[in-house]
Amino acid sequence: MSVKTFRGGIHPEGFKELSLGGPVTSYLPQGDLVFPVNQHIGKPAKPVVKKGDLVKAGQIIAEADGFVSANIVSSCSGKVKAIEERATASGTTATCIVIENDGEFSLLEGVGKKHHAGTFSNKDILDAIQRAGIVGMGGAGFPTHVKLTSKNPESIDYIIANGSECEPYITCDDRLMQNQSRGILDGLRLVLQLFPDAIGVIAIEDNKPEAIKSMEAVCAGEKGVMVQPVQAKYPEGGERNLISVVSGRDLKFGQLPADVGCIVCNVASLYAIYRACYFSEPLMKRYFTVSGDAVAHPGTFEVPIGTSYQELVEAAGGIKPDVTLKKALSGGPMMGIAMPSLSAPITKASNALTLLSEDDVELAEAQQTACIRCGRCSRVCPIHLIPQMMADAAEKKNYEQYEKRLYGLDCIACGSCTWVCPAKRPLMQLFKQAKAEILAAKRK
Amino acid sequence: MNENQLLNVSSSPHIRDRKLTTGQVMLDVVLALMPATVFGIVRYGLHALLVILLSVLAAVLSEYLFDLIAHKKNTVKDGSAVVTGLLLALSLPPEAPLYLPILGSIFAILVVKCFFGGLGKNFLNPALTARCFLLISFGTAMTNFSVDGVSSATPLAALNAGDAVNVAKIYLGTTNGVIGGSALALLIGGLYLWAAGGITLEIPVSCIVVFTLFMGFFGEGGFAPAYLIAQICGGGLLMGAFFMATDPVTSPVTSRGHIIYGAIIGLLAGLFRVYGSSADSFSYAIIISNMFVPFIDKLPIPKPLGYKGGEYKEREFPKSAINLTVITLIAGLLLSGVYAMTKTKIEEQEIAANQESYLEVCPDAESFQYDSDLDAAVEALAGEAYDSSSFGKTYINDVLVGYNANDEIVGYVISVTSGDGFEGDITLSVGLTTDGTVIKIAFTTLNETAGMGMRVDEDAFKSQFEGVNTDAFILNKSGSSTEENEIDSVSGASTSSGAVVNAVNTALAFFAEYIG
Repeated sequence: MSVKTFRGGIHPEGFKELSLGGPVTSYLPQGDLVFPVNQHIGKPAKPVVKKGDLVKAGQIIAEADGFVSANIVSSCSGKVKAIEERATASGTTATCIVIENDGEFSLLEGVGKKHHAGTFSNKDILDAIQRAGIVGMGGAGFPTHVKLTSKNPESIDYIIANGSECEPYITCDDRLMQNQSRGILDGLRLVLQLFPDAIGVIAIEDNKPEAIKSMEAVCAGEKGVMVQPVQAKYPEGGERNLISVVSGRDLKFGQLPADVGCIVCNVASLYAIYRACYFSEPLMKRYFTVSGDAVAHPGTFEVPIGTSYQELVEAAGGIKPDVTLKKALSGGPMMGIAMPSLSAPITKASNALTLLSEDDVELAEAQQTACIRCGRCSRVCPIHLIPQMMADAAEKKNYEQYEKRLYGLDCIACGSCTWVCPAKRPLMQLFKQAKAEILAAKRK
Repeated sequence: MNENQLLNVSSSPHIRDRKLTTGQVMLDVVLALMPATVFGIVRYGLHALLVILLSVLAAVLSEYLFDLIAHKKNTVKDGSAVVTGLLLALSLPPEAPLYLPILGSIFAILVVKCFFGGLGKNFLNPALTARCFLLISFGTAMTNFSVDGVSSATPLAALNAGDAVNVAKIYLGTTNGVIGGSALALLIGGLYLWAAGGITLEIPVSCIVVFTLFMGFFGEGGFAPAYLIAQICGGGLLMGAFFMATDPVTSPVTSRGHIIYGAIIGLLAGLFRVYGSSADSFSYAIIISNMFVPFIDKLPIPKPLGYKGGEYKEREFPKSAINLTVITLIAGLLLSGVYAMTKTKIEEQEIAANQESYLEVCPDAESFQYDSDLDAAVEALAGEAYDSSSFGKTYINDVLVGYNANDEIVGYVISVTSGDGFEGDITLSVGLTTDGTVIKIAFTTLNETAGMGMRVDEDAFKSQFEGVNTDAFILNKSGSSTEENEIDSVSGASTSSGAVVNAVNTALAFFAEYIG
C-alpha cells in the first residue's frame, strides 16, 4: 500500500531504538500514588473519597463533574493519605488525591475479569467508556465518551486509529501495537459500531514496520478496517494532518474532526476502550516510554497511572552516573512539557518521560542571530502558515494581524518552525503567548 | 539527582536542528560559490585570488570594526560578511584594481547592511548594491575586462556589436567577464544550494522564464536558441538569479511572493537589456526589485490548511497584483525612458568630449553633429561587420558631420573598429573631405605590440593616408610603394598595418555608399 503524507513537516532524529529493545516491563510502584483531579480537558473531577478511606485498585476516587469531565480511578489499593494541592507535570499545582500504596494492588470486585465476549449495545459501550474514565491518551486528554457521543453518527465517515507516534524517543504506542494488536482492533470495532457508516483506518508511520505487520495480521480479512502506512515525519500524528492525510479533508481552527466526518482515537485509547468493555477495567495503567540520553536503561513500561516520575526513573536504572540531567520532559522533545523536578505523577495522557543531558534551548539562546528571512519555517509548517511573519506580528503584539491576516490561531504548536530555524528564534514561545493573549481577550 | 536542584524549564520544542545555524546557511552559500570561485582563480590567476581575498577580508573587518565601535554583539561569526565579500569579488572584473574590492566591501557592509540595522534588516542586497556603487563611481575600471592588457569585449558587449557568439564559450565561461562568470560553475553551485535546502527554485525559475520570454519577444535575436542561451548565460543572469535574487533577507517570504518577485526581476532585466544602455541590466533589476519586497510581503498570504476553497475569498489579491505590475512597468519604462530622453544630451556631450579628436582629423570644422540618415545607415548595419569579404571584421561605430561657422559641411569623421588587430580591437577615426579625400587618421583604441604594431601610430605610417583620394588603399608589405594609394606596411607588423588599412577602406566604402 502506498505511503501517504502531508506537505511540510520535519525529520528530527528519532532515537526510537533507545527504548525499543527488551520486553515491556510491568512496573508496580512502591511509593504513594498521586492523582490530580484535572488530568483531562473539561471540568476537574470531584473527589468522592476522603482522607483515611481505604480504596481498591479500580475504584473511582473522583467523579466526573458534568458531561465534559472524566472519572478518576485509583490504580492501587491503599489508604487515602491526603487530598491537597500538589505540583503537576504542567508546572502548576492542582488538587491531588494521594493514596498510600499498600503494595497489594488488590482489585475492586469485578474489575479485570473477562466477563463478556458477545455483543454490546451502543449504550453499553459509551457507558463503559465513561465509567472507565477514558480520555485521549496521545497527550490531549479529551474525554473519549464526549468525542464518541454524536447526535448524527451517520455523518462520520472515518474512524482514524492514530498509530503515528511521530515524536522522537517515544515508542509506547509502537510497542502497544506490536503486543496488543488484537485488543486495539477490538477497541476500534467497538467504536465503529457507534458509527454505522464509518470505516476504520489505522494510520501507522512507516518507521514502525513491526507494528504495521502485527496490525495488518489481525486486520486481514476484517471488513471496513484497513492499515494505512504514512510517512515517518513529524508531526504526522498531529490530528489535523492525520485527518488530511487519511481523508483528504482539512480542518481549521475551531472545527472538530467530526465537522469533517472524522474521529481520531489514539491506539492506546482504543485499547483502553477494549479493556473497559470486555474486562470492566477502568483506565488505571498504560504503556509508557522512559527514554533520553540521560537515563541508564531506556525502555517501555506498563505503569499504573499516578506513579511518580522519580520512581520510574529509578525503575529505568536511574540517571547515568557520568551525565547531569538537564531536562526532564513529560512527553517527547517536540511538544513535551519541561518539568522543574521529577516529583509529578504520571497521568492518563502522559505517554513518555524524556530525560536529556543537554538542553538545546540553552544552546539556541547562545546561538541566536537575527532572522535572515530564509523561509524554512514556512516550508516546514504542517498547517502552511508563515511563522516568520507571525513572529514579527507577535513581537509587535499586532494581534489583529496575527489572527486575521496570518491565521495565527491555527498554529497547532508542533514546534517544527522552531526546530528548523537557523537563526534559533524562540518562535513557539512567541506563538503560545500570542495565542493565549488573544484567546484571553476574546473571553472577556 | 539532587532533590533540590531544579531542572531547566522552557517552552517546547526542546530540541533544535543542531546542524542548521545561520553560520551553516552562509557556509552553504560559500560552498555553492566554490565552483565559480575556483574557476575564476584558475582562469584569471593570482590577481583574481587577491581580489577575492581582499574583498572577503575587507567585508569581515568592516563588520567586526562596526560592531566594536557601535558596541554591538560581534556578528562576524554568522558568516554573512564572508558571503557578501565573496559575492562582490566574483562580480568584479578579473583585473580590477585592488581598491575596488576593498571599497566595495566596506560600502556593502557598512552602508548597505550595518547602517540599516545589520543582518536581516538591510533591504538591498549588500554585494549587489556595492557592485552598482562601484559601477557608477568607477565605471571604467568596472567594465575593463582586459586580461593581461588584452582587451576584448564581454560576450554581451560583443553580442551587441554583432560578433558571432560562441555559445559554448560563454557557457563554460572561457570568454572574458567577471571573475565568477562561468555559467556552468554557477549553475552547478546554484543546484547544489538548492539540493542543500539553501534556496528554493521559485525565484531563479520565474526570473529566468520571464526574462527569456521577454528577450524572445522584444530582443533583437528573437527566439533564436543561440541568442537566448547567450543572453541567459552571460551578463550576470545566473549569478543574479541563483545567488543575488535569492538572498533571503532581501527577497519575499512566501513562495507566491518568490514567483512574483522573480518575475519582476526578469521583466526589469529584459527591459533594461533591450531598451537600456548597459549590459549590466541584472544588477539594477535586482536592486530595484529589492525595493518591491516589503510590498510583495504585504500581499495576502497563501491559505493555510483548512481554508483552501473555504469561505475566505481572496478579493484583494488581483487588485494588489495589478497595482504591482503597473508600478513595475511604469518604473521600468521610466528608467528606460530616462535613457532614451537623455540619449541626445549624452550624444552632445560625447561630441563635445571628443571634439578634440574629431578636430584632429577634420581641422576645418567648427562643430560636429550626427546626421539622422547616416545614423540610420549605421544602425542598419546592426553591428554586423561592414563587408567582411573585403575588409575582415570591421565595424562602423559612428559617423559625424563637420560644419564650419556658416553651417556649411566641410567634412566627415567616420569612426571604425577593426577586430583583426594583432592583439584585439583597433579603433580609429578617419577624417574625410566632402569629396572623400582622406584628411587624416587618428587612433582611439590601440593595444598592439609595443615597438611593433604600435608603430602604426607613428606619423611616418599615418601620413601615408593624408590627402589621398582613392576607392581603396592597398597594403604594400615590401615597403617600396610607388602608387599614391599604396601604403607601406610597418615592418614586422603587417597584421596591425593591414587592420588599419582595412579600417580606413571601410570608412571609404561607407562614404562612397552613403555620402559621396
